[in-house]
Amino acid sequence: MIEVKNLQKVYNGVKVVNITELVIRSGETVGLIGNNGAGKTTLFRMILDLIRTDGGEILSKGKNVAETEEWKNYTSSYLDEGFLIDYLTPEEYFYFIGSLYGLSKSHVDSKLLNYTEFFNGEILNKGKYIRDLSKGNQAKVGVVSCLLQRPELLMLDEPFANIDPSTQIRLKNLVKDLSGGKNLTTIISSHDLNHVTDVCERILLMEKGRIIKDIATNSNTLSELEEYFSVLS
Amino acid sequence: MTLSFLSQQWIAFWRSRNKGKSLAIRATMAVLVFYLLLNVLVVAFFMDKILTKTHPGEDPLQVFNSFILYYFLIDLLTRFQLQELPTLSVRPYLHLPIKKNQIVNYLSITSLFTVFNLTPLLLTIPFLLKILVTQYGWPPFWGYAVCILGFTLFNHFFSLWLKRKVNLNGFWMLGFFAILLVVWLLEFYFKAITLSTISKDLFNTIVDRPLTSAISVFFALAMFVINHNYLKSNLYVEELQSSKTSLKSSTEIPYLDRFGMVGDLAANELKLIWRNKRSKSVITMCAMFMLYGLVFYTKPGFGYASTIFCGMFMTGIFIINYGQFMFSWQSGHFDGLLASKVNARDFFKSKFLLFSIFSTVCFLLTIPYIYFGWKVIVVHFIMYVWNLGVNTVLILYFANQNYKRIDLTKGSAMNWEGVGASQFILSIPLLIAPYIIYLPFSLLGYPEAGLGLIGVTGLAFILTRDLWLTRLANLFKRKRYIIAEGFRNQ
Repeated sequence: MIEVKNLQKVYNGVKVVNITELVIRSGETVGLIGNNGAGKTTLFRMILDLIRTDGGEILSKGKNVAETEEWKNYTSSYLDEGFLIDYLTPEEYFYFIGSLYGLSKSHVDSKLLNYTEFFNGEILNKGKYIRDLSKGNQAKVGVVSCLLQRPELLMLDEPFANIDPSTQIRLKNLVKDLSGGKNLTTIISSHDLNHVTDVCERILLMEKGRIIKDIATNSNTLSELEEYFSVLS
Repeated sequence: MTLSFLSQQWIAFWRSRNKGKSLAIRATMAVLVFYLLLNVLVVAFFMDKILTKTHPGEDPLQVFNSFILYYFLIDLLTRFQLQELPTLSVRPYLHLPIKKNQIVNYLSITSLFTVFNLTPLLLTIPFLLKILVTQYGWPPFWGYAVCILGFTLFNHFFSLWLKRKVNLNGFWMLGFFAILLVVWLLEFYFKAITLSTISKDLFNTIVDRPLTSAISVFFALAMFVINHNYLKSNLYVEELQSSKTSLKSSTEIPYLDRFGMVGDLAANELKLIWRNKRSKSVITMCAMFMLYGLVFYTKPGFGYASTIFCGMFMTGIFIINYGQFMFSWQSGHFDGLLASKVNARDFFKSKFLLFSIFSTVCFLLTIPYIYFGWKVIVVHFIMYVWNLGVNTVLILYFANQNYKRIDLTKGSAMNWEGVGASQFILSIPLLIAPYIIYLPFSLLGYPEAGLGLIGVTGLAFILTRDLWLTRLANLFKRKRYIIAEGFRNQ
């Protein structure tokens, strides 16, 4: 699905991302972890062609993301509130996203019914613009707008931050269901080791722009990671 | 405490992310303000001469007296438009052991340092020294000075208080304007009161009994206390932050859905315009521009050259005024836009659609100018075509060079955010291009041919729009990283 080759990004002489090789196969659920400044968000942004690479390339289904736009048809992502059009109501935003993928309003409405529990009554028909929602609720809007798009590649940057415990668990189940049934590749970054080891079958550990560990999740993974992070600090 | 607030504000200014820009802006503003104050001083020194010219045979002091209250009325209106609320970001201090009184006092005191409080004194004191002191001696002078200072402070705190009220509830503004309207009607329509007489009487009393000026001090103090108490009781994060949120509804814009994706994008942008403060004030400005023609066409013997200018601005004001800040309007969600399935061509097409809608509305609104001759409307139409053809492309070309983020929640009066070199450079071709076509013909004695060629050029650009679209989209693809990077810098 995603191939990264000799990828580099330099800010002020510091290599914030430096990945020689990384392959993410189709259908994998990958967790990206690392302390602040490890380069997770920068890597995400480069995969989404939001910032220029300083070397190397990223291929999505074999095609360079910076040169083609085909990846946009099957990739959906939510990195931060900058992805939301904040002066729209959540409904208007969902309709807009739906229209990008040829979904009619009633179609979008019926799809949104699946997320009633996830929204917990705080999103739809509240008469608020997205900018007036709390950060957690904005994240819910972002995540659901991603899922509306029936993506083959789903990228979420710290989706568990800012949302309440019940929603975290619901989101976890949502991602598990999705990755179980369909042909969906998921990349999630998170600081929550519990959630990430629970959801993801493969963990990438980043430090100072490099991927220093690439492990298939098993029962020992959590303790292994906890040990790593406690030694580091 | 006030001192440490001040020093922290000072640090905040010097360490702010766009220091260089705000320094340059402040320097420019300082020069401008200094120049204006200089003008005020000159007027003040020659006030007696001016008054004897405009009101020959009357005592300049009496004329002066009759004007004072009007002046303060206008002063109030200007303040209401331009004066900014003092912005100590109070949030980080609210939870610390600092008395609310101290925070409020700081806000009140620092708000006093504005040019608006200097001008009334600068404008009157030289005149008073020249005329009043020589005729009546010092005591009335002090009476005047205190009285004028009192009114100034009253206006100051009143406008701050009103602005805060209006921020929470727009009806306060309506009420304020209603009162002004009533005063105006009473004065000029029913002739029930005359402010000039009241003003004259008040200041003549001060000449006789200088201590009367205490009244204005009393008013000022009362207003200070009202403002102080109001602020103190409203020093909560949610109330300071933004206006009350009313129930927002999802709207659909019916006509646009027939354009598919492009229409959806344009509909979103229309919502952007109506739902954000900065963009809304641009629209208000556009509406006011519809009166621009009255400035030119009421002068006898206006020619084609000024009609071209006027027509271009009136039918194209939205393109120019809103377009100059493209795509900064969308800086808040630009990343999302780039990562989404929206392709560059559709993105640009939606801009063309938006420009066409607004320009058409503007053109229709200028039709009443037919009163000044049918030729005016023909020129307007030609310039409408020119705007749609040439200026849209020009503006969108420059939009690709614009990397400055803007905050949509701030008003546009005196707001320099997002203003950069690209806006200034843009204005050169914008202003010159139609004249390059028109002038040679006009000098040869065929102005109509020049006009025709402007129209034909505009039409040619509209017909070849697809070509321009492709070029713009390609440029956009090259520039997208830089634009997105710029918009991410808050």
